[in-house]
Amino acid sequence: MGNKIGVFVCHCGINIASTVDVKELVNYARTLDKVIVSKDYKYMCSDVGANLIKDSIKKNKLDGVVIACCSPRMHEHTFRGVVEAGGINAFNLEISNIREQCSWAHDDKDLATSKAKALIRGAVAKARLLEPLETSKIKVVPKALVIGGGISGIQAALDLAEEGHKVYLVEKSPSIGGRMAQLDKTFPTLDCSSCILTPKMMEAANNPNVELLTYSEVASVDGSIGNYSVKIKKKARYVDIDKCTGCGDCIAACRLKDRISSEFDEGMGKRSAIYMPFPQAIPLKCTIDKEHCLQLTRGKCGTGPLCVESCEAGAIDFKQKDEEIEVNVGVIIVATGYDLLDPQSLYEYGYTRSKDVITSLQMERLISSSGPTTGEILRPSNGEKPKSITYILCVGSRDETQCTWCCRIGCMSALKHVYLLKEKLGDDVEINICYTDIRSFGKGYEEFYRNIRGMKTNFFRGRPSEVRNAKDHLSIDIFDTTTNKLFEIKTDLVVLVPALVPRADAEDFARLLRISQSADGFLLEAHPKLRPIDTFTGGIFITGCCQGPKDIQDSVAQSSGAAARAANILSKKELEAEPLISYVEEDLCSGCSTCISVCAYNAIELVKEDDKSHAKVNEALCMGCGACVASCPSGAMQQRGYKDKQLKPMIEETLKK
Amino acid sequence: MKKYGLYPGCVMPTEQYALEKSIREVLQLLDIELVDLKGFSCCGEPLKSVNQMMTITLSARNLAIAEKEGLDLIVPCPMCHLALSDCKRILDTDPSMNQKVNKFLEDEGLKYTGKSNVFHTVEILHNVVGIEKIKEKVKKSLKELKVATHYGCHLFRPSEVGRPVDSENPQEIENILKAIGANPMDYPEKLDCCGGLLNANLPESALTKTGQKLQKVQEQGFDVFIDVCPWCHRQYDTKQKKAGETVAAKLEMPVMYLTQLLGLSFGISEEKIGLDLNLSPVDKLKLGGK
Repeated sequence: MGNKIGVFVCHCGINIASTVDVKELVNYARTLDKVIVSKDYKYMCSDVGANLIKDSIKKNKLDGVVIACCSPRMHEHTFRGVVEAGGINAFNLEISNIREQCSWAHDDKDLATSKAKALIRGAVAKARLLEPLETSKIKVVPKALVIGGGISGIQAALDLAEEGHKVYLVEKSPSIGGRMAQLDKTFPTLDCSSCILTPKMMEAANNPNVELLTYSEVASVDGSIGNYSVKIKKKARYVDIDKCTGCGDCIAACRLKDRISSEFDEGMGKRSAIYMPFPQAIPLKCTIDKEHCLQLTRGKCGTGPLCVESCEAGAIDFKQKDEEIEVNVGVIIVATGYDLLDPQSLYEYGYTRSKDVITSLQMERLISSSGPTTGEILRPSNGEKPKSITYILCVGSRDETQCTWCCRIGCMSALKHVYLLKEKLGDDVEINICYTDIRSFGKGYEEFYRNIRGMKTNFFRGRPSEVRNAKDHLSIDIFDTTTNKLFEIKTDLVVLVPALVPRADAEDFARLLRISQSADGFLLEAHPKLRPIDTFTGGIFITGCCQGPKDIQDSVAQSSGAAARAANILSKKELEAEPLISYVEEDLCSGCSTCISVCAYNAIELVKEDDKSHAKVNEALCMGCGACVASCPSGAMQQRGYKDKQLKPMIEETLKK
Repeated sequence: MKKYGLYPGCVMPTEQYALEKSIREVLQLLDIELVDLKGFSCCGEPLKSVNQMMTITLSARNLAIAEKEGLDLIVPCPMCHLALSDCKRILDTDPSMNQKVNKFLEDEGLKYTGKSNVFHTVEILHNVVGIEKIKEKVKKSLKELKVATHYGCHLFRPSEVGRPVDSENPQEIENILKAIGANPMDYPEKLDCCGGLLNANLPESALTKTGQKLQKVQEQGFDVFIDVCPWCHRQYDTKQKKAGETVAAKLEMPVMYLTQLLGLSFGISEEKIGLDLNLSPVDKLKLGGK
């Protein structure tokens, strides 16, 4: 209980002082019950201001402090340290927000000053009732979980492993590598994508600190920062990966060889029911696709599965079952990547009507020397070399009816394709690019664009109205806004550059991890400028395209950032837990369970003692959101630092005339 | 019998009689009663570029007349349909506009409150009557008849006003045609404009648009070309010969209103659906069981 309270009023330069009469506030505060000292300073958060508070506490033997300044979100943490340094409990501090909630919101100095007085009056009332609180300690599990095995996830895992932390890298498909593995070359340097990615994949596989969990999915997440307990489903591969040597004999033997559309080749190539997504896959092991495999779907494969016959190592095991494992980690890094917008939603671009309309990722597979055509550019309709290729950029991007955002990679990837196509098909091939704006914003991008402009390419600024089938070619009407002319383009192959969209399961996934999504569906960062990697949930970080569209270089940079943020936590043995969490007045609790249903953190359970049930708060899980307190019909749920008996007098005093 | 007011517009009752005749015959057979209301004026659309307020007021006036009788409207002309729909959208979302327009209507003792809805014939057939009921009425199945459909721009755009069919891939007319056994086929030029609105100042360009589309349709071997808009029909049917001359092609494409083809399939006489008024070579069309 505060019997000797000090009130400190900050000018915040002129932010507060220009609309609120600070001197008057200081004099007014002295008249309040239990206030024995009252001071003001230009910047209370500066060293001088902090010393002023510390010295006053010591000199006057204060046991409660009110600081009237900016929002507690800004400096509460700082001032807690100051108060503690002054020798009293850090939680005997009350912040009165007279900047965001007073001086910035009002013009009239007299009225603003009287409102500030009311706010301080309320804060002092609460300060009289504050109790010292002790922070508890949470032990940190020095391990990390990285979800997503694309370049972002790999980079984050490697950085953490290098610092000596154990990392579980979970990937839902059979191999790590992600989207980058599907690319042929990267812009603007034209590095071979596989050549720079494969070593990183190898490193991840060989690093003793990284445990690869491929063909696995996160099933549930419990716990909180420092100690998350995560259940991971390891899907059955029907292949014993300890025995499989990756020789590929089974793939050649499979009865469904070249009959199933390959996901890795974006449907441009075919695979068997037992397969490896691509030659550099890691782990270099086979997986049986249970949706197609004859033995698994019909229980019978001819006279017997040919894969079993051909496998010398005896690795095939149709009895294998999904397996669930549980791991404990201190932090989680989410790197789940993106999906491409399905161009079917733009009927006018003819994606469903012509085989010769493909996406840029499908083109990427055609260009790749390890792709379905071994790098030859052939029209899907007739297998001939195209004489004219037309790119349509911003398919669904920057479009009010589809995705309002820019995909940030479309322009550059199309320009890169121009270079690669000219290299493969010679100068005779005509390339048209229909663009909205060319956004070549990164380092070296504009220079790359300039080079491509010199490569006999037709640039049309505008959005085609339609792609039409015409006998043996496609025809596109486009109004070029640089020349104000309508052009009709006759072309052999149309490449759509679709918008980047959140993963189809992003919503369920966000709920699983209790993190938020922004309006566009991508995962939401805690602050767009100052906390771009953190989420609102402590200990969970986001990186790469799951947070928003970005190119490889930005994804890698963000991933190293995420690893550094995560290491901040992992390098500590213990974390301080906020004591401002809820607790139960057991005598008042009727065991109605309302609080359990509103708790987003699974932090409350019902316990039975002598025929009577009551709620119990798990202090390690409670985030102090207050939802249970507000929902409790009997007032049994209370939050430390915000108890009813502290808040009610505060409200009464504030509203007093 | 469901009752609707018929809003005729200006082109249908002054020159495209076949549309009106066939609509009256076909809808009656499908248990839709059409009521003729007194006092309709122009929908206002032709004035839009000159005086928008006048356009909206004229549209609102027509809607208020329907409201007075407590009827929803069937509007066979897509252009009128667009004008009335757009007026409804504006008056239902903009209270100050609503007030202004109602001030004008007061003089005639009319009031717009938004109670009456506006339907196009295609909507009535597809959504109100329904495919099953159309199937029941078929007497002659038009098996194997290769049909090219033409919706007309005003029926599907601008989508933000709320049009009866999708703006990129409308399928309603196709569904209706399938119900009578015909074989409607997609073709690249399906959504192309008829050119009709260029008639006033660029008649040559208008006929070129008309001719080009018909030429493509003819090349692709269609048996018949189906439209629903009196403006489009004027281009494709009435002016087919001139359009052919403009693009230097011999055009011999039978062109019919959707309701005319439905009428034939329902066994209604050619005279009653005004087939004798079509100037395109509809006689060429050999219908099964005829």
